[in-house]
Order: sequence, then structure tokens, then C-alpha cells
Amino acid sequence: MAKLTPRMKNWLEGLGAHIGTATKKGFPTTIVVDSAKVEGDNIVKFQLSEAQVAQVKQNISENPQVALGPGGLGSIRAAYQFKGVARIESTTLVVEVREIYCTKPGPEAALRLDTLPYENIIKFESTRWRDTGPPK
Amino acid sequence: MKLPKEIVDALRIKQPDDVIVYLTTCSVDGKCNISPQPFTDVYADEFILMPDLFAVKTKINLNENRVGVVTIAHPVEGKAWALRGPCGHIEWGLPDNYDFQGVKAGDILKKWGEWSEKESFSALPPDVRPHVIAQRGVIVLKAADCLSVNLDDSGKKII
Repeated sequence: MAKLTPRMKNWLEGLGAHIGTATKKGFPTTIVVDSAKVEGDNIVKFQLSEAQVAQVKQNISENPQVALGPGGLGSIRAAYQFKGVARIESTTLVVEVREIYCTKPGPEAALRLDTLPYENIIKFESTRWRDTGPPK
Repeated sequence: MKLPKEIVDALRIKQPDDVIVYLTTCSVDGKCNISPQPFTDVYADEFILMPDLFAVKTKINLNENRVGVVTIAHPVEGKAWALRGPCGHIEWGLPDNYDFQGVKAGDILKKWGEWSEKESFSALPPDVRPHVIAQRGVIVLKAADCLSVNLDDSGKKII
């Protein structure tokens, strides 16, 4: 099971994410949410607008697979991609993260992180970034 | 679809104030990949170009499902757009007359195949910049839809 680090949680909660969804035949739709709430090790909740629910509801019902990229400056400073399965509860998109990847431009792009021991993920982060979340 | 000037201006090469976008692609059975792209340009007011630096999963997806979505990640003020359309990658080694959605590989690679000649990668902060630049080609998205990503009208066609 994927386990988000405190840094990952801080960036997602602070700046939200771009959320990729698709039909089961692979036609993509991306929505943007500017904050999130992380619960436990790997549950990320996004409060959606009515328009966003209408936009992705059919996709999620036929294909719950989603991909998340941290929003704003997180796109480059928090170079992670989270993949998982989602469901919609009222106007909340609930994502269970199952895979975590590095998206830092360069040879480490696409490196899978959640298969590393947790302490190694923390070490990986600490040797590449000095911050623990977005600027206040 | 011709993009309006404000979108073209936002995505064109400029320094030092450049945008970072996300490119969403997905496998043919709907598993998405969302990849940050720190460099963009626009060709013929219709094609969004991004250098293929290390786009592993993106290229796997585009080899089987040629569609993508570009959204603006930073800075976002006044740039609440999702640009969706046919998306492919033009790699070094393709014949000059290889055609993707009306653009020729030779024309794209001649002008954007060595992206660092047009835009310095050193504009990126040191902890973000790749240690080694090895451009394999150019990712091309032909804008077919322009959708809002604003909360109140997300998904509405803007153009």
C-alpha cells in the first residue's frame, strides 16, 4: 500500500492538484482543484464544484483510475505523481493512492517511489528538496 | 482550432517568466498519466509543442492512444484552460515527411529538435533542472477543444 510522506501531504493540501480522469476507452479529462485533505496514509479528498462533479462523474463511474499532479508551484517543486482509484461522495472526490512516482525532469522521471521502503522515500526526498511543503 | 492570442502568448517561449503545464495522457484502457512540462511553444497558433526529455509513460500512452490534455499549472492567474486534442510525439529518426495531424516531422525537428538552442534550460532552478539534457524529440498536441477549468464552469467550452 502506498504511504504518502509529510512533504507529499503538505504540497497536496496546500496547493491541490491537477486530476486526470478518463473514460474506460481512454478519452481524458483534467480538472484543477486548489486544495485537498489527506487522511491516513493514502486517502486524498478533494472538494469539487458542481460543475466539476458533472464533468468527471461519468468517467469515475466507468473507470475509477485517476492520476494526480500537485498544483501550482508543486508541479515543479513537488515532482510527484500519484495514481489510484477514486469515487465521488456527494461533491467530494475521494482518491485512494496506490502508486507514487517521481516526475522530476531528468533521469529520475517515472521512478516509482511507493515500492521503496518508506525510510528510503524520506531519504530520497531529503536529498533532493530542502522544503517540507509549499511557501506560506 | 486556432488558439486565441492570450493562450498562444502564455504558451510561447519566453524568459524568464515562463509557464509550467501538465500534460495528461492515458492508456487505451484509461489509466491516466499526468506529467509536468516546464517548456512549451506554439506552432501555427494551433499546435502546442513540448520537448521530449524523459517522457517515458507519456510516450507509451501516446503510442497506443493519441490524445492529450494540457492544463496550466503555474502561474495560473487568468490561465484557467484545458486544451485537449490529438497528441503525438515526433522523434529524432523519423523521416522528414512523417505527418502528424498536418505537421511534418522535418519542420518540427529542424526548429524545435534542439530546444536548448531556443530556450535555456538553465532558467530552471538548480534542484529542478535535469543534470543531463537528452532530448529525444518533440511532443505535439493539436488543440481541438478549449475547456474552462474554473470551479464554476469547469468543462465548459471556451472556444
